[in-house]
Amino acid sequence: MHIPDNFLSTPVWAALDVVAVSAVGLMVKRARRELDDSRIPLLGVMGAFVFAAQMINFPVGVGTSGHLVGGALLACTLGLAPAALIMTVIIAIQAFVFQDGGVLALGANVFNMAIAGVLAGYWPYRIWGAGRRRPAIFAGAVLSVMVSASLALGELLISGIKMPRPLILVSLALFAISALIEGAITVSVIQAIDKLNPSFVRRPDRANAPVLVTLGAVALILGMVGFLLASTTPDGIERLGLKLGLHSTVSFHAPLADYTVPLLDSAWLRRATGGLAGLVLIYAICAAAGRLIGRQRSA
Amino acid sequence: MHHVLVDQWSQGASPMHARDPRAKVVALVAFLVVLATTAPDAFATLAIDAALLAAGILIARLPLSGVLLRAMGVLPFSLTFGLMSWMAGDRVRALGLVEKSYLSTVAVLLLIGTTPLPRLLSGLAALGTPRLLVLLAQFLYRYLFVISEQAQHLRLAALCRQGAGTKHRRSRFRAAAGALSVLFARSYYRAEGIHRAMLARAFAGRFAPLKPLRFRASDAVFALATISFFILVRVE
Repeated sequence: MHIPDNFLSTPVWAALDVVAVSAVGLMVKRARRELDDSRIPLLGVMGAFVFAAQMINFPVGVGTSGHLVGGALLACTLGLAPAALIMTVIIAIQAFVFQDGGVLALGANVFNMAIAGVLAGYWPYRIWGAGRRRPAIFAGAVLSVMVSASLALGELLISGIKMPRPLILVSLALFAISALIEGAITVSVIQAIDKLNPSFVRRPDRANAPVLVTLGAVALILGMVGFLLASTTPDGIERLGLKLGLHSTVSFHAPLADYTVPLLDSAWLRRATGGLAGLVLIYAICAAAGRLIGRQRSA
Repeated sequence: MHHVLVDQWSQGASPMHARDPRAKVVALVAFLVVLATTAPDAFATLAIDAALLAAGILIARLPLSGVLLRAMGVLPFSLTFGLMSWMAGDRVRALGLVEKSYLSTVAVLLLIGTTPLPRLLSGLAALGTPRLLVLLAQFLYRYLFVISEQAQHLRLAALCRQGAGTKHRRSRFRAAAGALSVLFARSYYRAEGIHRAMLARAFAGRFAPLKPLRFRASDAVFALATISFFILVRVE
């Protein structure tokens, strides 16, 4: 599910980089509000725990085994924002240190797994967790894997990657199976954790946060739409991509393309400068958001 | 293990290792963007890009074959998708998927093979990454091996107790869940201990690097030269 570089078309990865940077910025702000410095080592060590948890295999079928993905588990034990940040850092370390997933596609991967995936994993727990805890945790874990996998598939298809329709259906079925496995693993691990020390599992706070619910709903709907589109009309999604100018052969037609200096009349150069300018823009947004957040913190 | 080897590479000494991480990150991103916008059948451009990477690897005194071999990790994924595009008649894209994703991976390896992760992280922090994320990454990487080792022990212990051929899948599943919960609890308590130890050592909210970052003129020259070369290659 980690998308490497050069699989997504430039508009897709650039847009998702911007979305991921702002979403992670929001999460950092949220986490700063609810955490003090004493929790920072905890988040780091829990990230290492999620990495290490992949070594423990769960028997699931004839000769096959699954392992924990962890987004929903972290959300139920540490809270939404810390879970999203831990997953973000895990994905970034996987991209840089293990070359698992691209660097330009980092935004896409972070958005799919750390933002949308964790939100979808937390949402059911937040809403039903107080009453029906087990089904809520199960639903959350299933949704988190399903949403991030469907998003990744949808992004690949929008980027113009051609996949035969039967293969799309097969991969969706595989996603569904691994989502169910994640659900079962998450529920049984959380029950075991609860037995060890009930204070590890957070009570879903009842204070209503409409923003959170809305965000979760948006992530869910996005995931489901991607799922449905991908499963029913793979050609349709490509047409949609073409219509939106997202197809990779259309390449980079961001607003910047119209403002190129006449000197730069080479199409490649225009694209390269467009891309670089886009990145500078992303960086500027990033830095500005960081400064803003920092100011609010010190105020 | 894979990352241990890359970690060893990053401890080397070479002009590439000596560059400021910020210069290397900027150069890497510029390279990736230029590569992402290169047409997959512009073979001359791609060949120059590949040669450039090879030169970088040689200057960094990294084992060329080792780097090229490691980068093959991306191939199962890109070959699958490349094959599908090829069969769908989109041969240009098929080529692009395979060759460009491979080159990107080599480029990332060149960065991480010449930059120890703590230095890379302080470079990213200097480029504006939020402090919380950088701290989190530092702790994660520091305890990655410690916790992984514990997980290995738990796995081994479980294997010893149950034998390989236990038929009861349900109980094995519960045993694995139990092992993970123990790992969770140990990680949790370890983190509390770490924090107390940090307070005892007067931790003030950030790590003081042993060797502070210094962006020298040579780093600026490196970044500017590589970026303008990438763009030149792209235009030619």
